[in-house]
Amino acid sequence: MESRKVIFRIKRFNPKKDERPYYKEYEIDVPKGMTILEALQYIKDNIDPTLAFRAFCRSAICGSCSVKINGYPKLACKTQVFNELDVYNTNILTIEPIDNMEVIRDLIVDWDSAIQKMEKMRPYLIPDPEVVPETLDEECKVYPHELKKFDKFTDCILCTTCYSACGIVRVDSNYGGPFPLARVYRFAVDPRDSLKKERAKIGFSFDMWNCVRCNKCADVCPKHIAPVDGIMKLRGLSIEIGLRNNPGARHVMAFYKSLQESGMLNEVLLPLRTKGIKGVLENLSIGIKMILKGKAHSPIMKPIKEHETLKEVMKRAMEVE
Amino acid sequence: MGKYAFYPGCAAKGASKELYEATIAVSNKLNLDMVELPEFSCCGAGVLEEIKEVLDIAVNARNLAYAEREGRDIVTVCSTCLLVLRKAKYLLDNDDELREEVNEILKESGLEYKGTVDVKHFHWVLLEEFGEEGLKEKVVKPLTGLKVYPYYGCHTVRPKDIIGYEPSENPQSLEKIIRALGATPVCGERRLECCGFHAFWPAPNISMKLTGLNLKDARKESADCIVTPCPLCHMNLDANQERALKEVGENFKMPVLHVPQLVGLALGISPRELGIHRNITPVNCVQIS
Repeated sequence: MESRKVIFRIKRFNPKKDERPYYKEYEIDVPKGMTILEALQYIKDNIDPTLAFRAFCRSAICGSCSVKINGYPKLACKTQVFNELDVYNTNILTIEPIDNMEVIRDLIVDWDSAIQKMEKMRPYLIPDPEVVPETLDEECKVYPHELKKFDKFTDCILCTTCYSACGIVRVDSNYGGPFPLARVYRFAVDPRDSLKKERAKIGFSFDMWNCVRCNKCADVCPKHIAPVDGIMKLRGLSIEIGLRNNPGARHVMAFYKSLQESGMLNEVLLPLRTKGIKGVLENLSIGIKMILKGKAHSPIMKPIKEHETLKEVMKRAMEVE
Repeated sequence: MGKYAFYPGCAAKGASKELYEATIAVSNKLNLDMVELPEFSCCGAGVLEEIKEVLDIAVNARNLAYAEREGRDIVTVCSTCLLVLRKAKYLLDNDDELREEVNEILKESGLEYKGTVDVKHFHWVLLEEFGEEGLKEKVVKPLTGLKVYPYYGCHTVRPKDIIGYEPSENPQSLEKIIRALGATPVCGERRLECCGFHAFWPAPNISMKLTGLNLKDARKESADCIVTPCPLCHMNLDANQERALKEVGENFKMPVLHVPQLVGLALGISPRELGIHRNITPVNCVQIS
């Protein structure tokens, strides 16, 4: 069987013993098809029994084995060593604990902060008595078209991979994070839930508008859930329930208005439309620099060709149920 | 050679006018068959989805339909436009019910989405059309000795399910272009991190902090300049540089170039034609005569 010599450069840290984290290298023969988790287990069984990592189901269901492989968070049980070597064109793989959570030991992190934040956001069904029967004698149906709205978000395995990769979680301690916010959306559109769209207020108070839509959470999710989609839809629900007097919602409406007016974004009016006079004043100095460099267009924009078709498309799209 | 419909996006038509100028100059120099369709509208930058998903998809299905009518693949110089257009295409191509619904919306305007055109980034097209070696042959002013930090940002590579041009964990397209131009890529750990542009309005400090960290990373790698395929990243890194560096307690100047500007310099196009004079942070890393 084809095999390759691979150096695993693993980040080690035992807070009870070590002053600071360090890297330790292990060279092993890896047969084709071996996963990162199997390699870690091989090292633990044959070279260094002190190596600590989490692994339970080994089937990409429990989500416990998420680690960073050459800087990118992935489930170790789902990731084959050869694939990683090919992507990075190397025979060295750096394995580290995932970010945004405290390290308990080596590759094991403390999930509590992420889970506690999620709990505060009440991402569980709060039954609507008008929909959910009191006893089990009656059925509570969810129709396929209703399920379609939140089906993919029910696949979340709470592995926290997305949470660890999120740049906003790193710099904003109040930000809910990708999987908790996507969960809030999942219940906001569940017909059995009593809070329904009002759940968008929870998202609002956990800074959902601070999501930068970088799509990293969509990229790293081992279940291809794309939490960012849930966050965007939750923002949409907040606009629907009238939470419009904030820079996030006003920014969205500024785009809509621009498309209606000319078909292109009116960048010159964007600060005013998004944040009012405050927006203009905050960005005045940079605005002047840009004008001096010839980087601004007229606030009155000429409509694109066939602008009427765009307006018609927008009108008809807004009428769709 | 392919036939392309140029989709500049709003930034290149406004606050990043130099990107538009540089793209046209490079495209002309390389004889690319690229025409801008006057019917193209703003893609909505993903925010239309926050009003209604079908609105976002229908607006972009309209853009795609106009390109289809001309039989041209869309080529854009904006990473966010790239993602939004590719996402609309991905959803329409993989959901028959949605496609039917959207085509019903387009019908009134005499349009139909068929799914016959692709959406590409400008720098992918350069590599597809000429390859690293072919591009090298076109270089008349090699950027020898220039250390360039390839800053991908987000939407040129993520999410892989929709973008899928190269491995999102370790893309190499910008490095290939930098090498072809005779320069040296210097990669830092934040080359794939977000600049925070899309949170600029609700959370300017957070947005500026992310940008500041990226600039610091380029400095740490001793880069002479940053190159980016995204005008939105460029806006944060270049125009907002002073503010971003203040947010992370730094003060230095790091030139930031759009990909077509860097390519154009190596192709011997004049800096004026490439709109270099419009960059806010002075581009003093290359000889500009």
